[in-house]
Parts: sequence; structure tokens; C-alpha cells
Amino acid sequence: MKKLTAMILSLMMLLALASPALADDMINIGIIQFAEHGSLDNCREGFIEGLAEEGFIEGQNVTFNLQNAQTDMAIASQIASVLVPKSDMICAIATPAAQAAFNYAQDEEVPVIYTAITDPVGAALANADGTNPGQITGTSDLLAVEAQLKMIRALMPDAKKIGILYVTSETNNTLPLNMYNELAPVYGFEIVAKGISAGADIPLALDSLLPQVDCLSNLTDNTVVSYLAMVLEMAGEAGKPVFGSEIEQVKLGCVAAEGLEYLELGRQTGRMAAKVLKGEAKASEIPFELITNSYLYVNKTAMAQFGIELPADLADRANDVTPQ
Amino acid sequence: MILGILEQGLIYGILALGLLITYRILDFPDLTVDSSFPLGAAVSAVLTLKGMPPALTLFCGMVAGALAGLVTGFIHVKCKVRDLLSGIITMTALYSVNLRIAGKANVPIFGTETLFRNSFTKALPDWIADYSTLILILLITLIAKLLLDLFLKTKAGYLLRAAGDNASVVTTLAKDQGSVKIIGLMIANALVALAGAVMCQQQRFFDISMGTGTMVIGLASVIIGTNLFKNMTFMKSTTMALIGSILYKACVSLAISMGLEATDMKLITAVLFLLILVAGQAKRKKVRIHA
Amino acid sequence: MLEFQSISKVYNPGTVHETLLFQDFSLSIEDHSFVTVVGSNGSGKTSMLNILCGTIPVESGKILIGGQDITKMKEFKRYRRMGRVYQDPAKGTCPTMTILENLSMADNKGKPYGLTRGTNKARIQDYKDMLAPLGLGLEDKLGIPVGNLSGGQRQTLALLMATMTPIDFLILDEHTAALDPKTAEIVMELTNKIVREKNLTTLMVTHNLRHAVEYGDRLLMMHQGQIVLDKGGEEKKQTKVDDLLSIFNSISIECGN
Repeated sequence: MKKLTAMILSLMMLLALASPALADDMINIGIIQFAEHGSLDNCREGFIEGLAEEGFIEGQNVTFNLQNAQTDMAIASQIASVLVPKSDMICAIATPAAQAAFNYAQDEEVPVIYTAITDPVGAALANADGTNPGQITGTSDLLAVEAQLKMIRALMPDAKKIGILYVTSETNNTLPLNMYNELAPVYGFEIVAKGISAGADIPLALDSLLPQVDCLSNLTDNTVVSYLAMVLEMAGEAGKPVFGSEIEQVKLGCVAAEGLEYLELGRQTGRMAAKVLKGEAKASEIPFELITNSYLYVNKTAMAQFGIELPADLADRANDVTPQ
Repeated sequence: MILGILEQGLIYGILALGLLITYRILDFPDLTVDSSFPLGAAVSAVLTLKGMPPALTLFCGMVAGALAGLVTGFIHVKCKVRDLLSGIITMTALYSVNLRIAGKANVPIFGTETLFRNSFTKALPDWIADYSTLILILLITLIAKLLLDLFLKTKAGYLLRAAGDNASVVTTLAKDQGSVKIIGLMIANALVALAGAVMCQQQRFFDISMGTGTMVIGLASVIIGTNLFKNMTFMKSTTMALIGSILYKACVSLAISMGLEATDMKLITAVLFLLILVAGQAKRKKVRIHA
Repeated sequence: MLEFQSISKVYNPGTVHETLLFQDFSLSIEDHSFVTVVGSNGSGKTSMLNILCGTIPVESGKILIGGQDITKMKEFKRYRRMGRVYQDPAKGTCPTMTILENLSMADNKGKPYGLTRGTNKARIQDYKDMLAPLGLGLEDKLGIPVGNLSGGQRQTLALLMATMTPIDFLILDEHTAALDPKTAEIVMELTNKIVREKNLTTLMVTHNLRHAVEYGDRLLMMHQGQIVLDKGGEEKKQTKVDDLLSIFNSISIECGN
């Protein structure tokens, strides 16, 4: 009997799955977010705002179906297989979400708009010449590495070596790290990069890294950022300032950062999506976009701790985010 | 959506076949799978990019998986390390190996011909093109299942089953139970790696984190399948594992469609797990709750 | 000839639980003899079998079979020439595999376990003929898993499996102890028949003094790692259960219980 119940239940489940999504006049947008994360959440909020600016308002003419994969690849793929067929457009936040979405959307011709992808070319979501491999486009959150180096040079005129701590398994680290290595000599720096495999390695890695460098600069490495409090404490004890890669890190105690505004990135993405929805352009025709202007965030308390002065030419564009 | 469930369910069904060997037949809680699954994917992705025919990369993935099983088996049998720990050791080591093989944490193969998207599948008429991926996956899975069924009926297969059932019988048959276990682990991990390779071909990218939770998915599939259908004696356990895998994926899909958050997904999986285990408690002797 | 030469065996060496079981233990067993072994718990009967089979290693001494030193030989290799039935009926068979599968597997002992069909269909009738005279009805149950059988049925099957292929030695480790008296008699009769038919060199440890006296052609009694009684030939035939019991009692008194 139990067995029978179980079989009927599973049958019902399959039937429930088979019933098509309700058809109405609303535009269905599926949002696949790879992880729960402050920056990614901001991207999503920005995306929804960006669409609203262009007249696509939730509940009026658009419905959003939001799914978060909680960093689970198998679930990301399954979310994509479920959402793609019943959506008019997919918004994918972070690389694995976009890859999973594109895999299912490519044949269905459902446009995919991505955001928060550091290296769309490396992820094969864009071609090397800047064109798109299908109905897919979006925005990249590639770090403003050059601006960051320029800023560090201005704040620490005598510094020679910058330490970078990163997790080797995070694909988003590769490109910014290459850029750091490439651009550092231009500003008279040398990069000392230390790869680790997990957060637990951070104390040991810092022990060996800190004596070799004049300061640290963060990537958007999720693991290192999660352990930021520890990084700040150890660097503080060693008298080495830490530069962040976005606003939240500066709030937590990094000296300064040339960071992206993820809300803004999301809005930009939303406006691209609106273009596609209005039929002004196909997703395949819009090249992916980078955010070019970065914002300077500073933490006055942290600056004072390391005796760092803010030069006048930076002072007027600096956003003071020192916690009160 | 049904299509997606069947595709995913069948791919993970190959994984379930592997776990059927370690968990059900050998009674070995093998955590190697969390890394041998992405190992198969890494090998397949890298070789595909190098221009090897995708079908051949599946085979290479399997060989890599078998080697992973060999390592776990060696650690367990020859170094006399506990089963769970041997798996954990190999799993940990393979994480680095996978990164080395792939070269980076994420390797997309969108740009190249894959097993499921190539000049041949593109030439297929529309009515079949939609199903070509599913048909191919079904074919691979069924071949794996039939070969495993056949193997379990051979003399070597008998010995493998005996090793999990009552290892002392193997010894009194003048056979080294350690070697039999190692062979079992090799076959199991070859299947797991095959699942990873097929998954990689289907989703068209490798990611280092794609192995996380593999063991749980495979185990859930095996347990769902073997518990739901355990009274159907005519049904082979391999069939049960495959159906279990499809049902598991169907449940996940259903949960997603109903708007359940992935945050809660693990909890739901755990509850589902528990329900099926309790429902099928009656006559279980062998299944220990290792996982 | 099977020989134990000056075996010494210490359990838990180097710990407070260190116990010396065998010291300079020697024993020779003629080919084709059926030796029964009795003794109280802890007297070293089962340890002797385990040493012979290689289940446990020894500290010093040698084990020879026909002059060949097998002391360092791996356990599983020794079973090429030996069959063993354990006290626990579950230990000699595979519970989730069917009777037919169990028999087929045992039938193949000594040959390679390759990728050929596990069950030789041509042999099925032979298996049935082998099972039918036992009167247990097993010949009609070839397709059911052994786990569904009773202890006696399993033990019978284990005995058949252990002796199906040509072997020289049969090791019986209290193999009737877990069975009810009636089944124990049936299994014991079958054992005797097989041993005689195949002319096997047999070592049978038992707690059943009557079995020890009635069967076999040499009787050993062990105590604290030593053989305290060794009767063969005519001497054995005249030994009665009561004689054994009185020796047992006198040993116990010596030990102070």
C-alpha cells in the first residue's frame, strides 16, 4: 500500500511538472543567481531597477521568477532547465549561472542577459573579438585594476610590493590577477601573489606573505572576502594596510578601494535587457559592457591607523564610508 | 521540463550505478565520488578542447575515474586506512589534481563541438533534434546499465557481490578480498567519472565545484530507487537506481517550480531521504547509515 | 603431513593485556586423518585453526604442509588447498546471493574468476543431485537468496561449498555449535560422509564431546595452549565421553575453578 502511495505520489509529481506555465500577457523573466552574496544581491536589485526605469515594472508587465542556486552547480543546471522553457528572458548572475542558462537557452533562442561576470571571454560567453556566441550579452564586473594601482601609488608613494591573496579554485581571480601582474610595473610595483586552496589556509599564507610586502590588495575573491576580518587583523598587527576591491570591504576596515558599484552595474544590465525586450536590438547584437568608471571609497579610521594621507586631488572624488 | 528531468536524471543515473556498487554491493561509503565526478568532467572538457572526439573523451574520463578508485582502494586495502577516510583522502587530493588537469577552475566548451552538439546533431530534422540529447544520454546510460548487469552475472561479478556480502567467503575461495574491493572501487569510480564527463558534455563547461554533493545525490537516488521498489523482486537493482535518480531530479525540479528556495533544498533533500528510509525500514539489514 | 613446529603466539604484545597463548607448540597430523579437537574456552583450539589458515600471524615457529613452509603464505592463498566451515552459519555463505549463485561461485574455486558467465547451466542438475539426498528441499530453492534459509540449511550449504572442489584439508571450527541438536546430527553425519568419501585431512574443533568421541580417528584435548590428551587408533575407539569429562573436571580443579 505504501509503495502504491509512493508511486502515485511520484506520478502526480511528474504530472505537475508536465503542466505548462500559465500563459498571460506578462513578460516572464527568470533570474538565476549563483550565490547569496551582498554584491550579487545588489546586481539583482539594480537589474530590476534598471528595467523599471525603462518601463518594465514588476507586477504590471513583468514577472520575475527568482532562483538562487546557493553555489550548487547541479542545482544551477537544473534551475536553468526548469526556468529557460517558461521564460521570455533569463537574467543570470555570476559565471556558472550564466553558463548553465546559456546551455539551455542557446537552442530555444531565449535571450540571456548576464551580469557580475569577470571574464565573459574566458567563460566562453563572449567571443574573443567582442561578439556574442548567441542570444546572450551582459555586463562584466572586471575590477578597475589600473585605477586601483594608481590610487595605491598616490596613497603610498614609497611602496614597492603589493601582496595579493587569492583562492586558486575561483575562476574570477585569473583575469584580474593577470592584469595586476601586467600593469604593476607601470606604476612601479611588484606583485607578490599567494594562492591558497581554502579559507583555513589564510593565517599561514599571511604569515609568510605579510613580511614580504608593503600592503595587501584584495580581489573579489569570495573566500578571502569572507575571512576579511582575520586578514585585516593580521595585516594591522604587521602594520601593513589592506586595500579592498569594493565598498563593503572598505566599510569593514580596508583603507580604500577603487570599486564597482554593483547596484549601478545591475541597472546598466537592466537597461540592456530593456533594449532587447523592446525589440530595439537582439541580444546577440549588443556587445557585452564593462563598467569603466570606478568609485573611490575610503575609510578615514583605517587611514589614520596607518598614517596615510589622502592627497588633495583624490579627496574631492573620494567617498568617505568610515563607519560612524 | 520533463526533458530536462530525464536528461539530468539519466546522467546522474550513471552516477547512481556507481554508488550502487560501492554503497549497496561493497558496503563501502566511498567519498571519492565527490571528486571523481568532476575528474571525469575535467578530463572530458580538456580533451574536447584539444580536439579529441567527444565520445572518446568519455572513455578517457572513465579511465581517470578508475584510477581514482584504484588509489582509494590501495589506501584502504594496502595501507589499512578506514574506508571512509580513504575516500576522503583521495577526494581531497583529487581536488588539486582536477584543478591541475583543467588548468583553471572553470573550463567552458561552448565554442567546440560536443557530444550533444555537433555537425551531425545540427543536421538532424527538427522533430528529432529536440530529443537527440536525451536519446544519446539514454543510450549511454542504458549501455552502462546493461554492461553492469552483465558483469554482475559473471564469475568476477559474483566475487564482487560476495566481497560486499560476506568477505570471508571470498577468502575461503582462495581469492584476495582486497583485490576484489579495489576492482569494485575502480568500476564504481569509472562510472561516476563517466557521469561527470557526460554532464560536462551536456552542460558544456567544467567547474571545480561541480562535484560538491555528488555523493549525496547518488546515494539519495540509490536509496529512493531501492526502497521504493524493493518488493518488486523481478526488477534489477540497477533499474531501481536509474529510476531513483530520475525521481530525485523530478523532486528537485518540482521544488524549484514551486518556488522553493535553493537555501532550503538541502533540508528538503534530507527530509525526503529520511521519509524514504523510514518507509522502507522493514527489512533492511545491510544498509548502514554511513552517509 | 601437516606440521606445527615450535609455534609461539602472544596476544596484544607490549600491552598490559599481553597474554602468551602458545609457547613451543608442536603438532603433526598425518595425511587423510580425521582429527577431532576438544578443550575449554580459551584453550587455543580456534587460535590453532586460525594460525593454520593464516587468519592470525605467529611470533615464531613454522607451519609445514607436506614439508613446504607456509608460515608466511597469505591467508587467501592457503585456502587453495583448504576448505573451512565456521561456527557462525552466516559466515560461510553470501546472504543476498541465491543458492545457485553461491554454489556456482564455490564450484569455480581454483579457476580464474573472469568475465565468463557466473553460473554454468550445465552444472545445475549436478547441484540439484547433490542437494536432493539431504532432504532439506534445497534443490527446489536454487533461486532464493541464502539469507532466507535457516541456520542448518545455511551450514549444510557452507559445508558443501567448502568441499565442492578438490581440496586436501577441511577445517571445521565448531561448525555444529550454533545448530539445534537434530540439525547438528544431520550436518555431522554429512560431514563424516564427505570426509570419508573425499579422504580429506580434517581438523574438527568441537564442544560436543560425543561427536569428538564418535567421529574421527584421532582425538586431541587442548588446555592453555598445550595438548593434554592425544589418543589415536584403538586407544581412541575405547575412549568414552565420561573419560573426557573426568579429565575436563580434573583440569578445571587444577586451575582452581
